[in-house]
Amino acid sequence: MVEFGIEFVPRDPYWKTTFYAIQAEKIGFDYLWITDHFNNRNVYVSLAIASAYTERIKFGPGVTNPYLVHPGVTAQAVATLNEIAPGRVVCGLGAGDKTTLQMLNLEQRKPLRTIRECVKIIRGITSGKSLEMQGKIFNVAGAKLSFKTTSPIPIFIGAQGPKMLQLAAEIGDGVLINASHPKDVENAMTFIGKGVEKAGKELNDLNVSAYTSFSIASSYDKALKAVVPVVAYIVAGSPEIILERHGIRVEVASKIREAIVHGRWKEAFSLVNTEMVEAFSICGTPETCVGKIHKLLKAGVNQIVAGSPIGANMRKSISMIAAEVFPHFEETAEQKGT
Amino acid sequence: MDTEKIARKIPASLWDVVSEKLVDITLKSSNASKMPSGLAKTILYYWQRDQLATEVGLQRLLEASMILEPEKAISLLEELGLPEIVVMLKETQR
Repeated sequence: MVEFGIEFVPRDPYWKTTFYAIQAEKIGFDYLWITDHFNNRNVYVSLAIASAYTERIKFGPGVTNPYLVHPGVTAQAVATLNEIAPGRVVCGLGAGDKTTLQMLNLEQRKPLRTIRECVKIIRGITSGKSLEMQGKIFNVAGAKLSFKTTSPIPIFIGAQGPKMLQLAAEIGDGVLINASHPKDVENAMTFIGKGVEKAGKELNDLNVSAYTSFSIASSYDKALKAVVPVVAYIVAGSPEIILERHGIRVEVASKIREAIVHGRWKEAFSLVNTEMVEAFSICGTPETCVGKIHKLLKAGVNQIVAGSPIGANMRKSISMIAAEVFPHFEETAEQKGT
Repeated sequence: MDTEKIARKIPASLWDVVSEKLVDITLKSSNASKMPSGLAKTILYYWQRDQLATEVGLQRLLEASMILEPEKAISLLEELGLPEIVVMLKETQR
């Protein structure tokens, strides 16, 4: 079954994000993901209020990282959300956004080991048991929540590089592939297959999502205008292997990163070209978006996350998805109670 | 501001269109930080229950849009041919 998720960046006041979250639930989205960057509104506060105004949609950080927040605190936060909305909470986890972490002088040290231990800690603590763990990154000495988590909290791991994809499939309940292009998803599926095999799981046991940068509008130009800043960030944070796959020069990506870190937005955005937009987003009219979603599904994912920016006008874009995208995926739209 | 009285003057046939447009004005406003949190929560409550295009919903939307974008709200109601409401809203600004 195909599922749809939507991602919000809590840059706006809480009531706007919550308004869109309600709208997303009404039109039939399955998942609500809220990003975790220190410079925006806090992800858990945003999720808590969104959960209070929704009844069905599953939700979680999309994604948090263990460099900014200790996994023990992440476990506490998702367990608390689960008390507010039992059975609807998921935990999206990743190695973090290099550009934002740099602003706090945080280094993405040993991301694979860090994520592996982080998952163990979150699972351990949310299971309600006392956790003892001597890791290479984290040491936990008898950590235990003072309250019970009544339902399991699936952990989704955001991944882009081969090793992280494999690890995500091996230890995660879901994989959030940072990709909007079928070529990247096809490539990712190879490593996801390896991870699943290593864990002795079936691919069907795993929720495999394409976490896309999505921009829908009545014209390509309108959609493009909205997506350029997001693509700039993605290019800035992408590994060389991915850039090279799409014929994007590493030096240009470095220039974009440098410009973003120093707040030279105009310069950063002016370096984004059509190849980058094609590689790192689903951008265009509903027809274009539907075509690209079909290709991603064919490549092997079972959830499409419409990530930031969604469109130039958030409310209109969400309505456009309901009216002109979901009907092409009838199985999904009908089951959402729209 | 007596938006309750004002909202009652909006003909039921226009509730949907007024609600839609006031929501747009509110969400697109660059004065979003002026929104009182309590009012925002009330609007979210009605939105969740599909009650923004009702008398009570419109009352809250009018209140919000008159705080965030009074000129836009007034010109919308003028465009919709609701002069009596426009006068009442202008009076609340004095």
